[in-house]
Amino acid sequence: MMIYSNIGPRYMFQALAKFIPRSAVFVLLVLTLAAAVAFAAVSHLVARFNANAEARGRKLYTQGLADLSAGKPDRAIDEFRAALTCDRNNSQYQLSLGRALRDTERLDEAESYLQSLWQRTPDDGTINLALARVAAKRDSLDDAIRYYHNAMYGTWKSDPDGNRRKARIELIEFLLQRNARAQAQSELVALAAFLPADPVLHLQAAQFLTQAQDYPDAFSEYEKVLRLDRGNAAALGGAGNVAYHAGRYRTAQHYLQDAVNANPQDANSRSQLESASMILETDPFVHRISDAERNRRIKAAFVAAGERLASCAQQKGMNLAPTNTDASPDSPLATLQSRWLATKRDLPKLTSARETDLPDAIMDIVFQIEQQTANDCGEPQGVDEALLLISHNREAADQ
Amino acid sequence: MSGSGTFDKKLTGQEVTSLPATPSAATPSSVSDPNSGFLFRPRRMFAAFDDVFDEDRFFLILCVFIGIFSGLAVVCFRLAIDWIHLALLGPLPQTHTWRMFAVPSLAGLAVAILVMHVFPAIRGSGVNQTKAALYIFNGYIPFRTAIGKFLCAALAIGAGHSLGPEDPSLQIGASLASALGRQLKLSREKLRLIAPVGAAAGLAAAFNAPISAVLFVIEEVIGRWSAGILGSVVLSAVASVVVERGFLGSEPLFRIPITAFKRPAELIAYVVLGIAGGVAAVIFAKGIGFLRPRLKAMPRWTQYFQPAIAGLLIGLIGYFGAPQVMGAGYDFMDQAMHGQYVWQFFATLAILKIVATTLSFVSGTPGGMFAPTLFIGAMLGGAVGGIERIFLPHLTASIGTYVLVGMGVLFAGFLRAPMTSVFMVLEVSGNYEIIVPVIVANTFAYVVSRSLQPTPIFDMLTRQDGLVLPSLEEEREEAILRVEDAMLPPPAIILSASDYVDAAARRIEDSPETTFPVRLPASGWSAVTRELILRRLSEGKGEHTLGSLISAQPLPSLFPDLPLDSAIRFVQTNSIVPVVNRANPQKLEGIVSSQSVFAKYGAQPR
Repeated sequence: MMIYSNIGPRYMFQALAKFIPRSAVFVLLVLTLAAAVAFAAVSHLVARFNANAEARGRKLYTQGLADLSAGKPDRAIDEFRAALTCDRNNSQYQLSLGRALRDTERLDEAESYLQSLWQRTPDDGTINLALARVAAKRDSLDDAIRYYHNAMYGTWKSDPDGNRRKARIELIEFLLQRNARAQAQSELVALAAFLPADPVLHLQAAQFLTQAQDYPDAFSEYEKVLRLDRGNAAALGGAGNVAYHAGRYRTAQHYLQDAVNANPQDANSRSQLESASMILETDPFVHRISDAERNRRIKAAFVAAGERLASCAQQKGMNLAPTNTDASPDSPLATLQSRWLATKRDLPKLTSARETDLPDAIMDIVFQIEQQTANDCGEPQGVDEALLLISHNREAADQ
Repeated sequence: MSGSGTFDKKLTGQEVTSLPATPSAATPSSVSDPNSGFLFRPRRMFAAFDDVFDEDRFFLILCVFIGIFSGLAVVCFRLAIDWIHLALLGPLPQTHTWRMFAVPSLAGLAVAILVMHVFPAIRGSGVNQTKAALYIFNGYIPFRTAIGKFLCAALAIGAGHSLGPEDPSLQIGASLASALGRQLKLSREKLRLIAPVGAAAGLAAAFNAPISAVLFVIEEVIGRWSAGILGSVVLSAVASVVVERGFLGSEPLFRIPITAFKRPAELIAYVVLGIAGGVAAVIFAKGIGFLRPRLKAMPRWTQYFQPAIAGLLIGLIGYFGAPQVMGAGYDFMDQAMHGQYVWQFFATLAILKIVATTLSFVSGTPGGMFAPTLFIGAMLGGAVGGIERIFLPHLTASIGTYVLVGMGVLFAGFLRAPMTSVFMVLEVSGNYEIIVPVIVANTFAYVVSRSLQPTPIFDMLTRQDGLVLPSLEEEREEAILRVEDAMLPPPAIILSASDYVDAAARRIEDSPETTFPVRLPASGWSAVTRELILRRLSEGKGEHTLGSLISAQPLPSLFPDLPLDSAIRFVQTNSIVPVVNRANPQKLEGIVSSQSVFAKYGAQPR
């Protein structure tokens, strides 16, 4: 038995151990070697685990996308979350989860996911755009503008110009919704400056400019559209509309006529065309008309204003007849009636060459009547509407 | 003494005199000595390098290796939990499937069989076992414990038992370290220390938070600070965290929401949270303290089924709509931090998690308490924050902030580790701004918990297991006797070394004292007895100064704030010991004698 035990593996190990140097350095070398082997083994294990997890993550992510498309956002969120636990650093999963959370109004968590992505790649356009949308949902104007700008000047993996433009357009829409017109205008100017020769894009820019009430730039954009696509009905209508609002009625009439011709169903252009035509026929201050025609228009306007005043007073239940003592002399309508009657006495002098200020004085009372009655009795129609618009344009021109 | 000789001697714990003078003088008898260490061998290939090392230096390097091995083990442990969870419960949180209760029940049964027949020492969290290794078993933790803890805790947590991976990681690290220390036959002192070093490494890797791990181990396991201990524990913790981050990434456990502390008045809200956390911690601890001994006292055959029944009940909680309470729950804490739940659901989850964790833990299922504590604290924080925001809508802190602070609150109240709780929140959040709310809330939770439940949970568990381990909290709170407590007022007569003997004899003539302090010329104090003065006077030495009579060696002096223990060794050999002022050692604050010191201890002097 002794012999067998002496040649057994235990004895052999002990005998071998006697030859092993046992110093601190040797022990440290052995530990280093053991650590290296353990590192290699764990690395292999982790790599395999991660590979499996990544495959599982991809599958869950695909399911999540499908569920999102199928209108099951809550299920999709669970799947994106699970995908993310399989591959914690996957930006795509994180981004999709952040977007899905944002779309289901879980804004805090969405922002948190997107923020952690942003901290890793602060110049990424996609992430900045997603964060901008979260900020927009929160109605946080400053944050939204900051992230939209980051998205516009950030990096994009594909179609950088297109994506930057989309980000800017989205910002413009956001600003217009929030009535931040001045900021929207500056963004629009920048947008228009770098648009390619694409009528669709220019048309969109022109429509935004119209919305921002930047009529000169909007008109310029419509013209660019029409240079690229002569018969574009939307651009014709838009240009006419912009010209109409800018008080350029003859130009408006021209474009609106073309717009109606190009698209007879365009009711808005047709209505504006009628108004523009009416204004051009009513306005005594237009160029290239004779003195007689100007005087005729002034007289017609004066009569129309008197009728409008009377009907408005009637609508308000007031009797403006000179014999009536019930009407308050301080009432605006009564005052205007007095002035209208006083001016009426001067009307025959209109043809006199010495009365150079009289046309302006008459039209002044006409405009005051139209504005006051518009305030008291609502927006007018027909000639009165035309006179009211002319009065606004005159005021704007004076200012 | 040669460096290598010193090294061997220290490592093996041998007396200096028994060692060979040089490596070459080593004898075969030393090799055959069964007590000689692994490193105590005659031949060295690298003898020149050995001069660099003594045991302390070697131990520090060893701590790095312990950190590396513990980190690797924890990485594997985490993967095992994830793998088991995916295999048994699937990747998606689901309710209303039979797997929700079948899996934890069957896993509980399997774990019970393993614990009862193969790994009997792995029940519970592992913190107490590590402490027991330090104080009772000279650092010994069987390697089998690491294997058993790894397998059973991974199975239990992966299958959905409401337990966490941190305490098992701590014990796995401690067990690995202990095994390594034994193989290297380190000295007893180092062997005792090596288990906590491994524990810190395991905990640091599990939490991805080295500072909290170091603090916890020092605060709760070792209980004392020294440069050597701190260095060892820090090295191992840092090494393990580096390894863990290398494999699993450096992302924190949670995505931390934007947190801020703007108005000091809001601290009141955190005080409320602290008080609620303290009460919840006491309920949680009392539940465990009540049920655990009763379940352990039940017939042995029932212990096969206790983890299974616990698993079944937890599974039913998940089945009926709260799968969040299953497993460690980190993902759900993350969601809670981002305001995913309303306060009612927060409160429900906190209650259900207390129930689920109590069931898992008292049934003897191996697993940790850290993650459940954080979970309960997080949910409690969310609930309290939600309620407070209803009544005080102007509060600026987000729900996420309350969730984060709540984690620390329960950590402080339940685990009674106040320092660790603060640093844990800071480390997990990476946000220094919330330190004030965290400190305030944790302090209140700690004080409330301590006043309602004086015995901390780990001490309670230890006592239930029949072990007597030092309670580090009690030690911290213990009133220390100081020199000033035993100090007598300065005697009416204080002599000077320059006084003549006859003048001194006249001064002491009417005094009842027998020994008088003597102020020495430069600094320091001595003492002279009445008998000596009178004898010298009778010998005709009245013209001599006292300085020529007394010993040249001044008496040791003490300061009033020193622990009274430090006075004992001096009062044994001196009839009085002067107690002097720290700022002016010539100023006598009082004296201590053996009578006064031992009277303070309630004992008679020998």
